[in-house]
Amino acid sequence: MAEMRLEGVRKVYGGAVVALDDFSLDVADGEFVVFVGPSGCGKSTALKIIAGLEPATSGRVWIGDRDVTEFAPARRDIAMVFQNYALYPHLSVRSNIAFGLRMRHQPRVEIDRRVQEVARILDIESLLDRRPRALSGGQRQRVALGRAIVREPQAFLMDEPLSNLDAKLRVHMRAEIGALHQRIGVTTIYVTHDQTEAMTMANRIVLMRNGVVQQVADPDTMFEQPANAFVAGFVGSPAMNFFQSRLTKGPDRPVIEFGDATLPVQLAPDIFARYAEQDVLVGLRPEHMSIGNGTHSTVVRPNLVESLGSERYVYFPVPTANTVGHATFVSQDEDRRANTMIARLMNVGRIEEGAPLPLSFEPDRIHLFDPASEQAIN
Amino acid sequence: MRRTIPQSVLLYVTVILTCALLLFPIYWMFVTAISPSAQLRAFPPQIFPDAPQWQIFQQILETRPMLLWLSNSALAATAAVLLSMSVSVFAAYSLSRFRVRGGQTLGLFILVSKMLPATLLVIPLFAIFREFRLIGSLWSIILAHSTLIVPFSTWMLKGYFDSIPRELEQAAMVDGCSQLGALFKVILPVATPGLAATALYGFVLSWSDFIYARTFLTVEQTKWTANMGIASLKGEFITDWNEIMAASLMAAIPIVIVYMVLERYLVGGLTAGAEK
Repeated sequence: MAEMRLEGVRKVYGGAVVALDDFSLDVADGEFVVFVGPSGCGKSTALKIIAGLEPATSGRVWIGDRDVTEFAPARRDIAMVFQNYALYPHLSVRSNIAFGLRMRHQPRVEIDRRVQEVARILDIESLLDRRPRALSGGQRQRVALGRAIVREPQAFLMDEPLSNLDAKLRVHMRAEIGALHQRIGVTTIYVTHDQTEAMTMANRIVLMRNGVVQQVADPDTMFEQPANAFVAGFVGSPAMNFFQSRLTKGPDRPVIEFGDATLPVQLAPDIFARYAEQDVLVGLRPEHMSIGNGTHSTVVRPNLVESLGSERYVYFPVPTANTVGHATFVSQDEDRRANTMIARLMNVGRIEEGAPLPLSFEPDRIHLFDPASEQAIN
Repeated sequence: MRRTIPQSVLLYVTVILTCALLLFPIYWMFVTAISPSAQLRAFPPQIFPDAPQWQIFQQILETRPMLLWLSNSALAATAAVLLSMSVSVFAAYSLSRFRVRGGQTLGLFILVSKMLPATLLVIPLFAIFREFRLIGSLWSIILAHSTLIVPFSTWMLKGYFDSIPRELEQAAMVDGCSQLGALFKVILPVATPGLAATALYGFVLSWSDFIYARTFLTVEQTKWTANMGIASLKGEFITDWNEIMAASLMAAIPIVIVYMVLERYLVGGLTAGAEK
């Protein structure tokens, strides 16, 4: 086990395409860090640079107290689990798991002992003499994990290891990987595009976009205090709602308008002075709205209601005065929900589409962003 | 989907006719080989001789150095395949995995060299081999056949390596292999069907060559290949077709044996299970 450090790592393809820009990170010994972001954000490139499978254009990589930047993958003492498992198809499960130990010329008795132990931990003892083609997806995933943990490396690198599994098995394996990490405590870097995986598994999340780190934080901080609108929109499901409003002075606190509702917001005086009487980007999570009239409420007309049993997703249009005009992220947002809002309502009765629906808000949970830079301002 | 009766009839008729078309020449070689000379020119031809002359095979072996010619062919084909494969495996792997300046052009250049006909290369090759005193030596056809096999096998193997996920060798490298170690310990075992198919093609190409052997191995009869030996059975005035056909059948047997040995490796799908 070891800590890990990346210093100003940069990767440029073909002299023009910047896949990773000034990536710096300290990973503590035994920490579970998740790199998350949309496709092409550079998370897998960062992982491959740590593994030594891609050379960095510039920057240094440290594992423990060794600068491994120029080391071949074999010398870095790391283990990796690939998205497609990459099991050796010509070898049995036993030989697949033992492969790394054989390459390091471990005694045969020791190899057998460790393979058996890993097989017991992962509950694959009965599969040891099978070939990978005779295994199910979940079993292959376990063998891939076994091949990684048997070597007792300094760190695990996992590149979207659950993305090929069906939804149910993914949830199961997610819990198993979490439990495995608790048990063996090896420093782990895990890459995923699934924010739910990131939120449930990570000690810390590194959220990336276009090769640039957007925020490094623990899951709760990332959810409650997003650094910018991209982070706010990426973390949470359904994603955060965005609308635009003028920031004005209220009786006690600064206020924003949403339809006919006036919502007070928390803002430092100097920040308010900078944005007073200007449009700001407002973020409100779907779960921070509730049905019924409250201190701060408005009436909306749902254009779609989705029932998930215990909860309902109510879609309604953003009031015309609040539609987002110029924020860049909205058009890039993968779910392209611009100018439609979602309220996530728990344990409510039937809701008619098109009928007036009173909704109340929790003003303290409102996020404000600079409309140009999209950085959080409260 | 169930086939209708007319569809089944059409399918079976097509299969039977195709098989007959492919197998009849081999059958006729066999019938010609065991027929007495007088019966060969009879009309209408007999579908099977009244008195099969089974001793024709023994007669060939006793009167001609057929086994020596066969062993020369086998030696030349095996050596040409080994030489070609050892070159093309590295060439194909490099073309498949490394992005280097001019790599694609080099790959196309190799492909173009495959398009040159053997008759075009035979004269310059003769001049080169004469300089190196290889005329009359089996090395001449081993090297000449390699010039035909290498371009094809490089491209065939490149296609096969392209289909093997890069993650397999990356996993091997993380597990402790060098890039070369990953090639030998993981990629080549996984590519066995591709290697077998390529080797088989190279073997057949070398075995069936006549032009190069006829040009480079003219000096001593003991250096001839089977194809040259069979061609020498045709006389200026009299040709014993039954002897030629018997020798041809004997020359075909090693190819069948090689195919049977490699057949189990030829079945695809060995990479099944490597991925999701």
